[in-house]
Amino acid sequence: MIAYIARRLLQSIPIVFGVALLVFLLFSTVGEDPVRAALGSHATQESIDDLRQRWGLDQPLPVQFADFLRQIATLDLGESYNSGERLTKIFRRGAMVSLSLTVPPFIIGILVNISIALLIAYFRGSWFDHLATVVFVGSMSVSYLVYIITFQYVFAFQLDWFPISGYERGPASLPYLVLPWIIIVVVSAGPDIRVLRTVFLEETRADYVRTAHAKGASERVILFRHILRNAMIPILTQWVTSVPFLLLGAFLMERFFSIPGLGDTLINAIHTGDRPILMSLTVLIAIAYSLFNLLTDVLYAYADPRVKLS
Amino acid sequence: MDWRAGVARWFVGLALATIAGCAGPGEPRTPDDGGLKILRIARRNEHKSLDPAGQFDSASAQIVANVYDTLLEYDYLKRPYQLVPGLLERMPEKQEDGVTYLFTLRRGVRFIDDEAFTNGVGREVGVDDVIYSIKRFADANINVKSYILMQGVIAGLDEFRQKTRTLGRAIDYDAHDVEGLRRLDEYRMLVQFTGENPLALYPLAASPMSIVAREAVEFYGDAIAQHPVGTGPFLLRTNDRRGTMVLAKNPNYHGRYPRQGESGDADRRLLVDAGKQLPLIDEVHLPLIEESQPAMLRFRKGELDLHTVDRDNFIKMVHRDEGGRFHLKSPYSEQFLMFAEEALTCEYIAFNMNDPLVGQNRALRQAIAYALDVDAFIEVMLNGRAERLATIVPHPIAGSERDIAIEYYTYDPAKAKAKLAEAGFPEGVGLPPIQFDFRSTAKEARQGFEYVRHELAMVGIKAVARFHTFSAYLQRIESGNFQVGNSGWFADYPDAENFYQLLYGKNRPPGPNMGAFSHPEYDRLYEETRFMPNGPERFALFERMAMIVRDEAPVVLRFNRLDFGIYQKRLRNVTGHMMNDAPYKFFNLDLGESGQE
Repeated sequence: MIAYIARRLLQSIPIVFGVALLVFLLFSTVGEDPVRAALGSHATQESIDDLRQRWGLDQPLPVQFADFLRQIATLDLGESYNSGERLTKIFRRGAMVSLSLTVPPFIIGILVNISIALLIAYFRGSWFDHLATVVFVGSMSVSYLVYIITFQYVFAFQLDWFPISGYERGPASLPYLVLPWIIIVVVSAGPDIRVLRTVFLEETRADYVRTAHAKGASERVILFRHILRNAMIPILTQWVTSVPFLLLGAFLMERFFSIPGLGDTLINAIHTGDRPILMSLTVLIAIAYSLFNLLTDVLYAYADPRVKLS
Repeated sequence: MDWRAGVARWFVGLALATIAGCAGPGEPRTPDDGGLKILRIARRNEHKSLDPAGQFDSASAQIVANVYDTLLEYDYLKRPYQLVPGLLERMPEKQEDGVTYLFTLRRGVRFIDDEAFTNGVGREVGVDDVIYSIKRFADANINVKSYILMQGVIAGLDEFRQKTRTLGRAIDYDAHDVEGLRRLDEYRMLVQFTGENPLALYPLAASPMSIVAREAVEFYGDAIAQHPVGTGPFLLRTNDRRGTMVLAKNPNYHGRYPRQGESGDADRRLLVDAGKQLPLIDEVHLPLIEESQPAMLRFRKGELDLHTVDRDNFIKMVHRDEGGRFHLKSPYSEQFLMFAEEALTCEYIAFNMNDPLVGQNRALRQAIAYALDVDAFIEVMLNGRAERLATIVPHPIAGSERDIAIEYYTYDPAKAKAKLAEAGFPEGVGLPPIQFDFRSTAKEARQGFEYVRHELAMVGIKAVARFHTFSAYLQRIESGNFQVGNSGWFADYPDAENFYQLLYGKNRPPGPNMGAFSHPEYDRLYEETRFMPNGPERFALFERMAMIVRDEAPVVLRFNRLDFGIYQKRLRNVTGHMMNDAPYKFFNLDLGESGQE
């Protein structure tokens, strides 16, 4: 397994290099000119030249790219064009906040959605299954933004059950996070339960389920010991590969609830042409995505003994 | 009890509570701050830097202007806007040569206590601090954004800037004097400008020109951008860019509330605190709230004291009476107060005068001017939140159409068609589509263009549009690769010159004369009026310039916007001030239900 992991890690190097090259070319050639964006209508040629020099944008593109690769390799990511803050500090601070926003509802969502999907699979074909289908397809059809605006208006403003927006670091953040967590769980329920229901129903038609029934196994044992375990591979693929994106938070949620996570940082960087943040974050997410893909493959081996890593 | 009945009751309770809650907005609550006067206002954007010389954005200026001081500032109540002494004891006194001014500093003003100073105690501000701050402002290694405010203004300052560029960050300010900055004693200095230029005083009120302490800059290094040490009305207590910035009262601040205002200010209760020591509140809390909905909800709940009214909320909350005055609708009128103020902006469309079609065909430009119904645009697209302009100068500035007589184009499709025929395109036959470039990709820009496109189509002019990010738009303008640009200008300082320069021949791109309009008589009049004091003589020349702009139509003038603010009844001394976005030191709060201080 170690050889497999080492080989996969080596294979990911050209992938990350390709992403870095693509991102660099994209922002250097077709992206917004950060110098002009920063200086606005008061720019003079002198100030444009000064700022280009300060940000190293007067260097030839290969030199700039080599510098970017060095920053990624050493994780010394430089500074934000906007605030002058070190990117490592911005990312570390923002990632913790984003994770506090996304991880709890992610875990709650897994537990709740699996439970509901199993329940639906158990009652497949009944009125409960049909009702759940209507409810969850309906919930999927509503925009994320509508949930945010409506929940914020009703539960925070009108009913006064939660703060409207804001964030404090540490445990004091809890009151500010509960409503966003609820929204994330509610929004994820529709698509997740639909997928899980399909996966579970596929499994219920498998030969081993029929065999288990023939052997007299109870419905509960079949559902939890056999179906759930065999359904884990597609479920793992879906969930583990979405973990890197938890780092980015839920940018709409962060904006509307004034939660200072990485998602909002990314949106602001797009608006203001903060190229170091955009490029570094994109490549870091690509690296995280590669690593979690590898983790998924390793977990396959644990979830399904038939899978051999070689 | 059956669990299903329990769940049903819970849902019914939730539904009833929701319905009850949706019946109408609740009364805003007064926060319990334990007797402290805490002002709460949302920040809409993150600040970039708290180093005066390192920032030139409104979010940074919102903080910098409250923790640092400038030599001059704008009077809070006087209109038109006028400069008054800030750190100076009196206005700069012009010397006999006409280009040198005597600056006399206010005595006894101290920097806030900070570990950067000996024993942690802030020392008195002196002339050396002013000279150091101006040199630092001119340092190309520090200031790449706002030097344009002072470019070519103070004798020898441009040369000093060039030295900073050559020598880099190792430059020793003491070893390089600036010809135009002469120290007389601890409190007095002479500033020599490059020519007779009364406008040169305006940049002294801009936040990048704030006075800093050398010890603090040297102590904190680059971290001075996060650690302001000034003489302003507040000091920074909590620095959380992405959260809530907290400013606390500087008990040693020197400023006082103005004793006089405009007529009607007393009736508006703007003079209740006349002459009082500033600031009038204990703390300012500035949470970052980037989206409109949560900001307005928090305002309505009483968690914010003052908030701007955007387009969507304007429709819901504000109505205009037959006299054109704006009022809050019920129930908001019972809960809140509102102000409306004309912004110092001019929005216009500019023709590229080098374009072979629109640049060479005056009648075509005039046809477009007649075809656009600006009043209807304001009504339909802006809900009346703007005023039509007949000159390039916004109404609140001396020298606008309120001071001169000018008839500008009004919507007249028949005249538009006649001009179109005169241009060689009767009913638009043979006229290729006119290309509009927009400096925004937002839906408002696209909707605005659709409105204009429809109006032009009514007289036979086809229009197409490209929507750009702001920097891409500027690049296109500078390269001259455009036909018609949708543009606008916000006053750097409240003088008509700042707007007439937009059509001055020498200001062609990359300067602000984006269409490269060139007219010898206009240029001569501009140079003549540039540094004249306001008065009938200057206004007469402005009138001629406005006529040239009308007749030559290098631009089609449209409107200046109105800004609206809504605030809690407990907040006092609120008035729109377009040269000061964050006049927190003048605000006061009534504490408690009774309205007692």
